[in-house]
Amino acid sequence: MPDVMVEVRGLAKTYRRADGSEVQAVRGIDLDIYKGEIFSMLGPNGAGKTTTISMISGLLAPTAGRATIGGFSITTQGMQAKKLLGVVPQEIALYPTLSARQNLEFFGRMYGMGGRELQKNVDEVLDFTDLKERQKDRVETFSGGMKRRVNIGVGLLHKPQLVYMDEPTVGVDPQSRRRILDTVIRLREERQMTVLYTTHLMEEAQELSNRVGIVDHGQMIALGTVGELIQKVGEDDRLILNIGEQSVPDSVRTRLLQEVPGVSTIEFAPPPPTNGNEHPANSQLTILAQRGRRALPVIIQIVNEARIDILSVEVREPDLEAVFLQLTGRALRD
Amino acid sequence: MRKMLYIALNDLRVFFREPGSLVAIVLLPTILMLAIGYGIGQTAIAPTQVRVDVLNNDGSALTERLLGQIRAANNALVLCPMDDQDGSCRLDAAQPLTAEAISRRLLDKVTQAALEIPAGFGAALESGQTATLIYRSNNNAASPGIALQAVQAAAQQVGGAQVAAQVGLSVAEAYPPVGFSDDADRSAFRQGVYDRATTLWADNPVRVDYVQSTAPNAPATSSTQAGFGQSVPGMGSMFVMFTVMTALYAILRERRNWTFQRLVMMPIDRRSILAGKILMWFTAGMIEYGIVFGIGLLIGLNLGNDLLALLLVMVSFTLCITALTFTISTLVKTDAQANSTSNLLALSLAPLGGAWWPLEIVPPFMRSIGHISPVAWAMDAYNKLLFEQGTLVTVLPEIGVLLAITAVLFFIAVRRFKYE
Repeated sequence: MPDVMVEVRGLAKTYRRADGSEVQAVRGIDLDIYKGEIFSMLGPNGAGKTTTISMISGLLAPTAGRATIGGFSITTQGMQAKKLLGVVPQEIALYPTLSARQNLEFFGRMYGMGGRELQKNVDEVLDFTDLKERQKDRVETFSGGMKRRVNIGVGLLHKPQLVYMDEPTVGVDPQSRRRILDTVIRLREERQMTVLYTTHLMEEAQELSNRVGIVDHGQMIALGTVGELIQKVGEDDRLILNIGEQSVPDSVRTRLLQEVPGVSTIEFAPPPPTNGNEHPANSQLTILAQRGRRALPVIIQIVNEARIDILSVEVREPDLEAVFLQLTGRALRD
Repeated sequence: MRKMLYIALNDLRVFFREPGSLVAIVLLPTILMLAIGYGIGQTAIAPTQVRVDVLNNDGSALTERLLGQIRAANNALVLCPMDDQDGSCRLDAAQPLTAEAISRRLLDKVTQAALEIPAGFGAALESGQTATLIYRSNNNAASPGIALQAVQAAAQQVGGAQVAAQVGLSVAEAYPPVGFSDDADRSAFRQGVYDRATTLWADNPVRVDYVQSTAPNAPATSSTQAGFGQSVPGMGSMFVMFTVMTALYAILRERRNWTFQRLVMMPIDRRSILAGKILMWFTAGMIEYGIVFGIGLLIGLNLGNDLLALLLVMVSFTLCITALTFTISTLVKTDAQANSTSNLLALSLAPLGGAWWPLEIVPPFMRSIGHISPVAWAMDAYNKLLFEQGTLVTVLPEIGVLLAITAVLFFIAVRRFKYE
């Protein structure tokens, strides 16, 4: 059993609206995050992900339950717990009129550092984030990617054991995104830090995470490694056939189910209505099948025999997106 | 404690790096302070009305003649309460004009001078005795104002007439029956009147005793002091409000940028964060005062005799406005609300409290309402220190009121402040 860095039990948060009614943003989450792992928390907007992490990091007081960081309760031993935590918010939480170095020095002092230790740590972070040459420039003159790197740097200044990163790649170009993801991996590989990572980009979670937790409607609906989660929803490939404005007769669906080995589900989505000025969207025939690529020629043949023209075919292998879709009934970006 | 200081210092650095902050805290207050100071200074040199409170304990015909002579001597004089036709005397209807009330009005500079006519004034003069008028003013006797000059002129005229009457009477009594037998007789009568008048004039029957209301070393109010004594604390206080109330917007922006939440998630006591923010905005307010009073000093404003008292008034007012700002910050949700609230408060509390013009020129009920504003308490204290050579003891009531408001507002602000 690996050492636990973050332990969450029955964590809940209820808000009271102006009209007196109550909203349960988080409904009793249990979670263990192990030392040295990258744990990704996935969930659509409003799922309760940010509220959960705000409680773990001491920003919000829970209505019920408890959370500990490194064995310290965030509610009763907040100072000790927060010393182990580095925070990288989604927003660029920096003072734009100050230089990168001034920002780092100020936040370093807030972590209790001073003198040579502070200067040494600031230099290290500037090296780590590759910002040494621009350290004296005002943050407001930086590109989005550079601002993100300073933002990350602040969270690493005091060499925390746990780093919380909230969607750190939002709004950056692909090159900067790659750089940030590499930085996250280096935190685990080189510094053995535990990373609590939130994102709505499945490919990021899939690439980085040792384990993933999916939050929806204030509850942890799935928790495990990427492989474990995919297994939970089955390993069928998803074949998506775009067929323009045509419809699919029932006889075709029956033939596909009976004659193609491994086909389990067939879904037909007619094109959404347009206001007349837009180009009409495609109807989609979605077929879930084991070893979908092998089944594809037979499927195409059956569809063609029904005189349905196939405009394009897309094969999606099982991934977190599919897991999420199956568990929540909606795409993560919704 | 150290983290609180770092927060305050960092926020000050951020504040002064904001584009336009120097214009807002140096240029605008300086321009307004100079414009209003010169304006009021010029007005003070040529007043259109000079109020003189009269405590008439006599009520004889001779007294009425004396008052008529005073009015005739200078039509800028308004004798109160008898000439209070359009409320120009600014009398309190509920309070009669007693000696105590007049003293208070002099102290508050509601009236510029006071004349006390003793009982039996007219009878004494008519019987050939001496009578004394008591004249009170805040002005130095070495530089008498128009009121004193008018009273002195009127007293001389009334006294002169009494002398002539007394001379005629006494001469007629000395030369009965009246009539001259020859030129020598006529010449002797003329010489007799002359000698008697000279003797009586040597001791004018009407005297004016001058009593200075304020400290004897009080300097005369120059146009610079009159103008900038009003505009420096007035504009200073208003711009302290503008500066400190920028916190409403700054707190919202810190929450939006998440720098505030980031601080909360760091190992710092929440109250240290709030204390750091309060310390920063208080310091910014004091810097604003320092700039305006510093410029005032450069252009010749006399800061009075008690600099410690002046500093304590600044501190208590700035604390009060900081407390007000942080209380309001618990209610403000958007930038638009922050802007409109700070403008509304600064632009209403400042004139209401006498920052734009002296409260002396507004009716008594407006002066009472004005004291809802902390500015009025601060301006009362500044007036005492800058115009009346007041000391710390004199301004303790105003400081006490400001600190009491501060305590209540901080109590509310600290309890209601949201850190999330």
